[in-house]
Amino acid sequence: MIPRPVIKNVKFKIRRYDPDSKGRREPYWQAYDIEIKEGLTVLIALLQIKDRLDGTLTFRSSCRSAICGSCAVMINGFPKLACNTQVLPEYEKKGEMVIEPLANHKVIKDLVVDFDPFWKKMEKVTPYLVPKEGSGGSSRMTREDADIIERVQRCIMCGSCNAACNALEIDSKYLAPAALSKSWRFVGDIRETKKEKRLERLSEDHGIWSCVRCVHCTQYCPKDVSPLKAIERLRAEAMKAGITDNHGAKHVDSMVHSVRRVGRLDEATMTFKTLGFLRSLGMIPFGLKMEMHGKMPRPILFPVIVGIDEVRKIYDDIEAKRKKD
Amino acid sequence: MTGVRRLQYAYYPGCASQEVTKEANWATRAVAGALDIDLHDMPSANCCGAGLLTDYDYELYIALNARILAQAEIMGMDIMTICSTCLMVMSTANRDLKADPVLVEKTNATLSKVGLKYSGEVKVKQLSWVLIEDYGLENLKRKVVRPLKGLKTAPFYGCHSLRPSDALGFDDPEMPTSLERLIDVLGGDIVEYGDRTKCCGFQVDLVTEDVALDMMAKRLLGAKDEGGACVVTPCPFCHVNLDSYQGMAAKKVNRKISMPIFHLAQLVGVALGMGDDELKLSRNIVSPEGLLERIGIRI
Repeated sequence: MIPRPVIKNVKFKIRRYDPDSKGRREPYWQAYDIEIKEGLTVLIALLQIKDRLDGTLTFRSSCRSAICGSCAVMINGFPKLACNTQVLPEYEKKGEMVIEPLANHKVIKDLVVDFDPFWKKMEKVTPYLVPKEGSGGSSRMTREDADIIERVQRCIMCGSCNAACNALEIDSKYLAPAALSKSWRFVGDIRETKKEKRLERLSEDHGIWSCVRCVHCTQYCPKDVSPLKAIERLRAEAMKAGITDNHGAKHVDSMVHSVRRVGRLDEATMTFKTLGFLRSLGMIPFGLKMEMHGKMPRPILFPVIVGIDEVRKIYDDIEAKRKKD
Repeated sequence: MTGVRRLQYAYYPGCASQEVTKEANWATRAVAGALDIDLHDMPSANCCGAGLLTDYDYELYIALNARILAQAEIMGMDIMTICSTCLMVMSTANRDLKADPVLVEKTNATLSKVGLKYSGEVKVKQLSWVLIEDYGLENLKRKVVRPLKGLKTAPFYGCHSLRPSDALGFDDPEMPTSLERLIDVLGGDIVEYGDRTKCCGFQVDLVTEDVALDMMAKRLLGAKDEGGACVVTPCPFCHVNLDSYQGMAAKKVNRKISMPIFHLAQLVGVALGMGDDELKLSRNIVSPEGLLERIGIRI
């Protein structure tokens, strides 16, 4: 006997907006009640709403198979592919079904957002390989060489990572995780000849060092691209290439030295090393307030942990390996 | 809890709470003492790298975190930390080590130079998880002598106790409940607002300060506009930003904020009847004293 499928009535609350409409020009909420059979995706539900209830509802979609990257929307506050999210588990878990256009993007109409800034950022990172001139044809790559860029090649450019990005939420000029993952696709490719040039540009303002490590991109990427990992690799490569004259790299460098020197994070020295003398002076009023509450970090005579020799031996071992590479 | 084995942890307060947010460390020790939870110091544990070591060298990051995990393994205990960033950094290293035998081999080759080996037996937990999962909310409720009645408390999770969830896995990153459950047991009023799982900006305080200040202001005003009178956070870095930097953030957006920020252990301690000697609320930049007095609690 075939078990009968679960069918539930679900209220979809959808964020709508039509700047060209004669009536309402401000964004508003509209609710649609629709019967959902077990296993149906949010995209199928949106298509059914459009088909049966309201032909004016506008959204993007194409492949229905999590390959084209067209249908990313905010589902109950988080970016997801509509075609890759089943309605009932989501609805039962959250108790509602709220659909909004991707956050951090300008809305064109209803659930359709403007991807022009997304593509402009992609263009900015030169999204193609620059191989050795005349190299043509095929070149050999080891499994490891290929593996290191495998993950970022899964990107379907759906914009979920950028919609979740907390740095982009504040700084619209930030290159953001999608374009940075794409950068690693080429910086990490052994055939690439412009690696250093790329890293220099990526180390400028609004580049790799603007990531706030909120881990949203990695959490919500539907293809497991792990953009944060790509950003970390770009940062490490930039430092290896000696591109360190910026606050981000100085911040990391002071941490690396602090742990080697005392085994812990020496906050005062880190602030000074990251900001430099002049900008550190600007922190004096803040420091005084901290001092009044006994919170001023100790700048000198920072205590060294027991067993610092072990820590330094670990550093030596890894540094020796780095030199060999 | 007679007849029950006392809870034992290798205690990793993290660098921040040994210096700038010492009060979180002191309050945690006091609360653990009152609840008969044994915290064993790890005096030779190194810094986890706060995510920054990853930007320099992944293998160095893994090896230094494996050193911490190996020390806890020798102690035969799970680690309890009071820092979300330490939690995320150690848990992510732990996840990677458990998933990759080649990485374990490489890492143990490095650790062998200092006589250590990590076999993957340690779990890393946060204070809130310990209170809920290991100690138990019912047991905690019985210890509450001064319920936080009328204290409109906004929970702020921040990033690193929630994401990446495949390495952490206690709270659902989309709908976490641990702080709400704790506020409820302590007798406080939960304030719902949008930004509780977002970033406080700490990682870029020294890199892109303007972005960090805007972020702090957004989180705080989000909580305030929904009726929050104070915030509780499980993370000392979030605390530094929301408390110590609050004045600068308010100035940047030209709004009055004045929201006291509690370390989780401080909030628990208040409900357990502790005073300022133990909780050091006087070290917080935005004083919670007046707010607590208004709900009839004198510290």
